[in-house]
Amino acid sequence: MTAVARAWGRLTLPGKVVFTVVPLLVVLTAGLIVAIAIFGGAVVDILAANMEIVRFVGAATIILVITIPIAFLNIFLEMKVIAFMNLRIGPDRVGPWGTALSVVHGLKVLMKEDFTPTGADSVVFTWAPVVTYAAAVMTVLVLPFAPGLYGQDFNIGLLYFFAMGGLGVVGLLMGGWASYNKYSLLGGLRSAAQIISYEIPLTLSVVGLLILAGTMSLNTIVEQQSGSIADWYVFRQPLGFIIFFIAATAEGNRTPFDLTEADSEIVAGFATEYSGMRFGFFFFAEYVNVFILSALTVVLFLGGWNAPFEIDPILDWIAGLLPGLGITTPVTIPLDLGGLGLPLLFLIALIPPIGTLLFAAPFYLLRSSMRWWVALIIGFLLFNVVAGGLVFAWAYVSFDWVAGLVWFLVKAFAFVFLFVWMRGTLPRVRIDQLMGFAWKWLLPAALLNLFVTAFAVVLIGS
Amino acid sequence: MDRALKSRLEDRFGDVLAGPVRQRHDETEIRIEPGDVPDVLRALHDEPAFGFGLLADLAGVDTGETMQVVYHLWSETTPDWLRVMAINLDRESPRVPTVVPVWPGAEWLEREAYDMFGIVFEGNRDLRRIFMPADYRSFPLRKDFYLPDDAARSPGGGVRPMEATHAPRNAAAGTVRKVRG
Amino acid sequence: MTVDHRHPSADDPRVMLEDESELYEPIPPYAPRTEREAEFYTLGDGELFINIGPHHPATHGVMRVVMKLSGETIVDLDPVLGYLHRGVEKLCENADLHHTIAYLDPLEYVSSLFCEWPAVMAYEKLLDVEVPRRAEYIRVLTGELNRVSSHLLAMGFHALDLGGLTPILYSFIERDEIVEMLASITGQRMLFNYFRIGGVNGDLNHEFMSRLGDWMSRATEQVEANVGLLNENEIFVRRNRDIGVMDAETALRMCWTGPNLRASGVPYDIRRAHPYSIYPEIDFDIPTRQEGDSLARYLLRVDEVKQSLRIIDQCLHQMPDGPVMAKVPRLLRPRPGRSWAAVEGPRGEYGVYVVSDGTDQPFRFRIHDPSFLHLQSFGRLLPGKLIADWMTVNASLDPIMGGIDK
Repeated sequence: MTAVARAWGRLTLPGKVVFTVVPLLVVLTAGLIVAIAIFGGAVVDILAANMEIVRFVGAATIILVITIPIAFLNIFLEMKVIAFMNLRIGPDRVGPWGTALSVVHGLKVLMKEDFTPTGADSVVFTWAPVVTYAAAVMTVLVLPFAPGLYGQDFNIGLLYFFAMGGLGVVGLLMGGWASYNKYSLLGGLRSAAQIISYEIPLTLSVVGLLILAGTMSLNTIVEQQSGSIADWYVFRQPLGFIIFFIAATAEGNRTPFDLTEADSEIVAGFATEYSGMRFGFFFFAEYVNVFILSALTVVLFLGGWNAPFEIDPILDWIAGLLPGLGITTPVTIPLDLGGLGLPLLFLIALIPPIGTLLFAAPFYLLRSSMRWWVALIIGFLLFNVVAGGLVFAWAYVSFDWVAGLVWFLVKAFAFVFLFVWMRGTLPRVRIDQLMGFAWKWLLPAALLNLFVTAFAVVLIGS
Repeated sequence: MDRALKSRLEDRFGDVLAGPVRQRHDETEIRIEPGDVPDVLRALHDEPAFGFGLLADLAGVDTGETMQVVYHLWSETTPDWLRVMAINLDRESPRVPTVVPVWPGAEWLEREAYDMFGIVFEGNRDLRRIFMPADYRSFPLRKDFYLPDDAARSPGGGVRPMEATHAPRNAAAGTVRKVRG
Repeated sequence: MTVDHRHPSADDPRVMLEDESELYEPIPPYAPRTEREAEFYTLGDGELFINIGPHHPATHGVMRVVMKLSGETIVDLDPVLGYLHRGVEKLCENADLHHTIAYLDPLEYVSSLFCEWPAVMAYEKLLDVEVPRRAEYIRVLTGELNRVSSHLLAMGFHALDLGGLTPILYSFIERDEIVEMLASITGQRMLFNYFRIGGVNGDLNHEFMSRLGDWMSRATEQVEANVGLLNENEIFVRRNRDIGVMDAETALRMCWTGPNLRASGVPYDIRRAHPYSIYPEIDFDIPTRQEGDSLARYLLRVDEVKQSLRIIDQCLHQMPDGPVMAKVPRLLRPRPGRSWAAVEGPRGEYGVYVVSDGTDQPFRFRIHDPSFLHLQSFGRLLPGKLIADWMTVNASLDPIMGGIDK
């Protein structure tokens, strides 16, 4: 016994962890296998009977997970795009073109000390970032990314979106109040005033659209915009689109409306006293919000997943060109691939080396100064690009949801870029200008938009 | 040198001048007693013949024997800088009336002179230390305030001219470097 | 018995203060010394103090401003100085005349040449030294370059304080070029230590001239392009217009000088009001504006940059040959006397008052810095405005804390 204790005492901390965790895992896995063998059928039956719940849980998990790469991508875009606008290089150390820097930032905030200042209301202080982040993530649930690719299709989807989006301000206010710091308090109150003021034009600007659409389900709204580009609501609600975009900028605390964290005025606003992962949550929430607001703009006004042009006529046109090029019939391979059996795998495995050699050959043969391994690397990269492109083109043509997702992400990130562009260009407005703009300009304009739409619907409808 | 300014100053302030009007290069200098500061400076500022609208500087000076307050003025009416020196302030309790009613901007300049020399500007409503902390006791630019300079106190101190301080190494306490006011 | 002399640390549990509510108030822990202090540190109904600085993103150095707020509206404010006080005047009184010049550079670290210039002028008056004309031309040339770089920085930081990220980096392109070319003749990028009693430290060299030629050929366009980022930006203009308005009479009485005074409509520029060096021979205008608000101060700096480019151009064309240093002995013992010299710097009047007692060290060395007086006017410009306006006014007055705190 003493020998075991002595051996245990000599172990380092990682060693102790490994020696504890590995046996535990082995036991647990074995238990799990046994459990599945005994109860597996019953569990599957129960899950199959409640497919809606399974789908919801799955969707919620996926959404929670995908917000992280989205936020990372937004942070990287912000750093790199603003750097280019400032004639700087921006991040270029971690990963190719600094792409891994935001991941490293994430790890950094994870490892930093989580500090609660003296005098802070520690419960509220701790929960504030959670509320903000949860509110941001929960809105993703109703976003239709592509046909069939959405968390949940509510008939009150838009209402749910605004309700959850409005919850984020509670977190900011909690953080601002609980920090026991006057900068935080000012930031929290500013965010409350700003977001509540801009909530009104934001909501009113889409009421006109709702009159036209006749539904609040985001999926239905997107489906209504399928067809040609002229069906997009931006052409029927241009004023509403502009108001919505401006109000969304304010709602997401983005420049020129980033008064809540105006660094040259109130240091970091509500986040002044936050450090470590709590601070990270606030900023994850902000960048997720940027994506969500861009996505909602796309869904409501820019056709969501619908492509701005039809791909089929182009394919037909290409197919029409083929006879002219001497290709008359679809290429048929006089070989029954299925009949090959196992050798098919070898054939498939041969494609990459052969492709690499094929693409490398012209470089190696035409340039005498080229080393063979350089040519091989170039060939490999080119092959990957071409093969990836082909696979993508096949997926795009074959699957609706791939095409939809691509178009949706392209449009959404175009708006993210627009937000970043504004941040690189514009100074910040003052709080009285901000509030005056909301109440004196945006609100009347939104009402005007609503009334004009209503009149038009009544006149044309009757 | 603006000779006309000299005669104008002598004509106007002949009775309050505490010394001859001196001129050198582009500077004209008059000396007055501290009590005359508000009247003279107000007259220089208000009277169109002088029109010294701009207070270019306000400096305290410790001559080692007395204190001075030196005002530099600028006017369109003359190509010279005008230097008004309030001389013979008591070194133990230097007091001079404030010029804040004429130039509100002199408030901080007077605070600085108070902070550095302990000159009390009577009538300045905000005469507190400006650079030094509130619990600081001495007045650093006075001539009996020595720098705690290691090089100067070292055995080689004073050998090279750059290291000589105003208090020689073997000087008795209270040695003060002096200048003829 | 040992006494624990360690500084109390925030990690020390004994430092949990007894009265927590007072921990965060910037109220001084002693009885008020003046009426003004007593009045300021008494809170009215619904007012709060907020302590901006000494480490704050928008304070341009280590300035601390205690603000009394009602909501977001500034009721009153009290700048607290001294965080950067180094006692340069005392140091200069303990240094050789030549040595003092090096002490002056770090005062206004973005326009160092204008700190050296009045000092060498004052010494030259004391010593009756005649400066060679080529040296005067070089002083004007380098000085105007420094003014351009300083103004560009001020304009960039003005935008940065208002939340615009980009203009500062465009400003730095030009500033960096100027600083590099000055470094090629002075050997330093910021703290040049270039002017000497009786001239300048070195003649113009090939690298400087070629860099200057390159830069001058594109300077006007570049400056116009940088300024175009902001001048037509509606948000920038609206945040500056009618903020921090100072009328001419008050500005004079507050002892303002430089661009800030000229933006209020007073055409006071020492280069014309009290000509020194070779400025009488050079043709340039003194831009003024009547509005006196932050926007006017910003636009006036833009105009001044253009005038400075004109001056640089003329200097290059009129530059005479000759020595760049007068014959001045190493050890200088001026006769007892006094002298005052002032120059027009990018922020206003930089002055030096020297009293000599006949030794090789100045007896009294007084440094006059314009930012000090501009900062003083916060209390007049800001009450009734919002916190965000403080940043606007602060950026448009363009104070440099190194000079203010001496």
